[in-house]
Amino acid sequence: MDASSEAATAEARPSGGVDVLIAEDSRMQAKMLERRLVAAGHTVRWAENGSDALVLARQRRPDIVISDIEMPVMTGYEFCKSLKSDPSLRTVPFILLSTLADPIDIIRGLDAGADNYVTKPYEPEYLLGRMESLLATPLQVEDEAESVLEVKLAGQTFRVRAGRQQALNLLVSTFENAVAKNRELIVANQDLSIARDSLQKSNTELRELNEEISRINAHMVRDLEAAARVQRSLLPAEDMTLPSANVAWRYVPCQGLAGDFLNFFPLDEEHAGLFVVDVSGHGVPSSLMAVTVGRFLVPKVSDSAVLVRQGPDGRPVIVPPAEVATQLNRLFQADEFSGLYFTMLYAVLHLPTGRLDYVSGGHPALVRVPGDGADLEFHAAEGFPIAFVPEIEYAQQSLQLSPGDRIYFYSDGVPEAMDAEKNPYGDEAMAACMRAARGLPLEESVASLLAAVETWCQPNGPLDDISILGLEWRPSSG
Amino acid sequence: MDQFRRIQTGKKGDIHMVLFKDKKILDDTTLDEIRSEMTQLIGKASGPDVLLDFSNVEFMSSAMLGLLGQLHRKISAGHGRLKMCGIRPEIFQVFKLTNLDKLFSIHKDAPTALATFT
Repeated sequence: MDASSEAATAEARPSGGVDVLIAEDSRMQAKMLERRLVAAGHTVRWAENGSDALVLARQRRPDIVISDIEMPVMTGYEFCKSLKSDPSLRTVPFILLSTLADPIDIIRGLDAGADNYVTKPYEPEYLLGRMESLLATPLQVEDEAESVLEVKLAGQTFRVRAGRQQALNLLVSTFENAVAKNRELIVANQDLSIARDSLQKSNTELRELNEEISRINAHMVRDLEAAARVQRSLLPAEDMTLPSANVAWRYVPCQGLAGDFLNFFPLDEEHAGLFVVDVSGHGVPSSLMAVTVGRFLVPKVSDSAVLVRQGPDGRPVIVPPAEVATQLNRLFQADEFSGLYFTMLYAVLHLPTGRLDYVSGGHPALVRVPGDGADLEFHAAEGFPIAFVPEIEYAQQSLQLSPGDRIYFYSDGVPEAMDAEKNPYGDEAMAACMRAARGLPLEESVASLLAAVETWCQPNGPLDDISILGLEWRPSSG
Repeated sequence: MDQFRRIQTGKKGDIHMVLFKDKKILDDTTLDEIRSEMTQLIGKASGPDVLLDFSNVEFMSSAMLGLLGQLHRKISAGHGRLKMCGIRPEIFQVFKLTNLDKLFSIHKDAPTALATFT
C-alpha cells in the first residue's frame, strides 16, 4: 500500500519536484512559501501546527519538512522530536525556521533532531538552496544506539540526543546562516555608506543652493533699495520753500517701491509748480513707470522736461498744466502689456496773485479750505487718467485763491484707505479732519490727516501708498 | 460652456456677456488671469460688443481699471461697444474717483444694459 501510494504521489508531481510538508501557523507566510515552492515544481501540503503536520506526515511520507517553531498545540521542536522518533519518518529531512535569537535554540534544535536551521526572515531562494542540498545527501540511518552528547552553553550543561551526521549538519547550517547574515550585513552596510555619501552630497548641494538663494536675495534687496533711493529723488528737496506760500507734505509708500510720488518747486520768479502722481498698481512695474514719469516733471528746460520749454526769445516759458497732461498722455501711450496708467493733479500757482491753474487726469478731487472760514470745496477731476484714452486733449481748470486759503492734493490712498472691515476712510471723514485742523499750522494739519488715515487702517496698516501735499497761500503784501 | 476660471461667458445675439466670478479683484495674479481670459475671448472677434457684469465683485483695485482701459481701447479700435453693469456703489466710487464713470458706459443691470446695444 505504502509503495503504491508513494508511486502515485511520484507520478502526480512534476518531474524534479518533491513532496513538501509545511508546518506554519501564519497562513500568510505559509501561502507565500507554498506559492514559491509550487512555482519551483514541488508538491506542497500545509498544516497549522505540529500536531496536524504529524498526522499528514503519517498519512503520506513527505520528502522534506519545513516547520516553524512557535505554533499552538504542538511546537516545531515537539513535532520534530515526534517525527524523528518514528522509525518510518526519521530520515525525512527537517528544516526548522527560527529567528535564532538565543543560542539555546541551537541546543533545542539538536535535541529535537532537526537537520537544518533557516533563520527568519529568509530569502525563498536561500531556503530552496538548503532543500536541494539536504535532498542531495540523504540521511543515513545511524546505529540505533544513539550517542548522547553533552554540550556546555552559558554555564549550563545540556544533554542532547542526536545522530552525529545530523548534529553536524545542523551546526553547519547554523554556521551557514551566520555567514549568510553576515554577508547581508556587509551589503546593508555598503548600502548605508552609499546612502550616507549621497546624503552628504545632497546636503552640500542644498547648502550651495541656499547660499545661491541668499546671494540672489541680497542682490535683489540691494537693487530694490537702490530703486527706492532713485524714487526718493522724485520727492521735494529737504530745504525747498516757496515765497508767499507754505507747503507741507507726507509720503508713505506701502511697500519698498511705490507708484505714488509728489513734488513742488518754483518754475520761475513768480510761479510754483506742484503735483501728486499715482501710478496704478504697486511694486517694481509701477515704480519704474513712476520714475520714468518723474523725469518729465522737472522745473527746467531739457529734452525730456514737459513743464517748461524754451521760448522764442530764449527765455523759459511755463507750459500750461492742461498741455502738460495732453503731452504726457501722448508720451505714455497705453502700455498694452501691463495696462499701467497714472492719475495726476498738476497745478501752477501764480505766487503774487493766487491764481491756480491746474489739470486733473482722473485724480481724486482737489480740496480747498478757504481761509475766511467758509466751508471747504471739492474740485473733482475733469480729465481721464493719463495713458488711458489715446490722443485726447485735457482741459484746464482754475481757482482764484484768497489769502489764507489752503489747498490739499492727495492720492486715492487717503479716501480709499480701508479699515479691518474694508470700509473706506471716505471723503466725509477726510473733510472733517481738514476742517478740524483749520486752526492748526499747515504742517500739523497734514500730519493729523496722515495720522487719522493710519489710525483708520489699524491693525493691518495702509494697503496703498499715501501721498498728501498741502499748500497755504500767504502773499507777502497781504 | 464654462471654459474659464475667472469669468463666466455667454452670448446674447452677437453680444459677449462676461460675468466676473471673483468677489475680490485685488492681486496681480487674479488680474493677469482675467486679462488673459478676456484676450482669449475677444482676441479674434472683430468689432465685438461686450457686456461686463460686476454683480459678484465686492472689492476691486484701481489696477483693474487699467485692464478695463485696455479692453476699451481694443474694442473701440475694432468699432465694437463695451458696456458694464452690476457695479455696486463701493466699486462705483473707484470709477467716480478717477472720472472714468464718464468714459465707460455703465448700466444698472444686464437687461438694462442689453437694451442699450440695439
